[in-house]
Amino acid sequence: MNAGKIASVILLTLSLLGCANLDEVREYATESAKFSAYTELTTRFRDTYEREQPYLSGEAAQQAQENDRRRKAAYNDLLKIHRGVALYMQTLAILAGEDTFSLSGEIDSLAGGIKAYPDLGIDAKHVDALAGITKTVTKWISASRQQNAVRNMVREGHEPLQTTLDGMNSLIRYYRKTNENEHKTVLGFFEVEMLFLDTPENKLLEALARAHLQNKVREYSQAQQKYDNAEQGIMRIAEGHRKLFEGIDKLSSAEIRSAISKFAKDIKSVRQNLQYVHE
Amino acid sequence: MALKNQKQVEAFADNITACADDIHGRLIEAIKDKKIDQMTAQQIFQNEASLRQHANTLYIDAANFVVDGLGESHTSLIDLIGSARESIRTMEKLAGTIGLIANLILLAAAACTAKPGPILSAMKAVQSDILALNNSREPLSDGIDDLAGDSSAHHTAIIRT
Repeated sequence: MNAGKIASVILLTLSLLGCANLDEVREYATESAKFSAYTELTTRFRDTYEREQPYLSGEAAQQAQENDRRRKAAYNDLLKIHRGVALYMQTLAILAGEDTFSLSGEIDSLAGGIKAYPDLGIDAKHVDALAGITKTVTKWISASRQQNAVRNMVREGHEPLQTTLDGMNSLIRYYRKTNENEHKTVLGFFEVEMLFLDTPENKLLEALARAHLQNKVREYSQAQQKYDNAEQGIMRIAEGHRKLFEGIDKLSSAEIRSAISKFAKDIKSVRQNLQYVHE
Repeated sequence: MALKNQKQVEAFADNITACADDIHGRLIEAIKDKKIDQMTAQQIFQNEASLRQHANTLYIDAANFVVDGLGESHTSLIDLIGSARESIRTMEKLAGTIGLIANLILLAAAACTAKPGPILSAMKAVQSDILALNNSREPLSDGIDDLAGDSSAHHTAIIRT
């Protein structure tokens, strides 16, 4: 058997061995890393005082100021939680990336260096085949390395990630409850004062208050949607990672791949919904 | 502080919020029934707002509890990111095996021809590949910067950004 034949047999055999196809994992991790609703709501939480301040006086105003100081003090630590998750997801996306473990650049430069050796029965055609084998062998080695790296990361990351996401959900709940108190303070103020505006000389004031109130009602109902979306997104990220963790040994199975892909799409659509809320 | 855990703090804050909601309902009723004047109503409303501020103080406490509780998980995640970076670096060493595989195939082809010249030169090439691979294993435990001149250093760059 000459070198050319050897080459084609090896090439065929190796191409039948599975290579790492981690497209869905990458897609899921990329979408999860992009999901930043938590950050936005953390900032909204920090800025509570700015919005409620005009409607407060006396003791309530003093307390609000003290709360403002404490929220600002906690802000960086609250953001750090999200940064940890985002960095984890970015790294997972890179690990599962098409180019991360690819050595095609090195192989191409090598192919240029291989010469034909007529003495050995290796001609130009064989040189191409040789480059092909080399490519397949290294692809195969790098694929299994890549799968292992992704597996290790998902296995070890699962518990701390779930705990962190769980914590983020609790935090969003506190943000939401804080926002509800703000909402009731602002709208409640108008409700009380407008009941005393029921006289002809207050017509103008009443109209202005009503117009302002309409804006406020819209603002708070949009905020409400943001909390809903953030909770949904974080839940999908957690479920997606659970699916990944459970199916880590059969990442190439169609069932796991389509499930992970579904989570990626869900997370993306929640993120896009959030963008609509902004517009 | 008497309230020890996050859930208790949250439940207490929820109760205070519910009290404020209740006061608000009664206040609106009293105004509608013309039972109180504007100044009294304003005073009661500020008391209600003050209760809401108390509840918000407790939500900050609860949030701080969560932050403290997540310290360990955060450290685990960051450590894991570090070891993932390491595995990408290890992968970069694989680049060296490409030449080895090509030269091994050449050696096999040379062996088939049974000509000493080509066999010897192919063996030399394989030997130098193996030597190069062994040497490249050394700097693995060093800092990431050792790879700066490496042809695949761009992977490291991706991770760093």
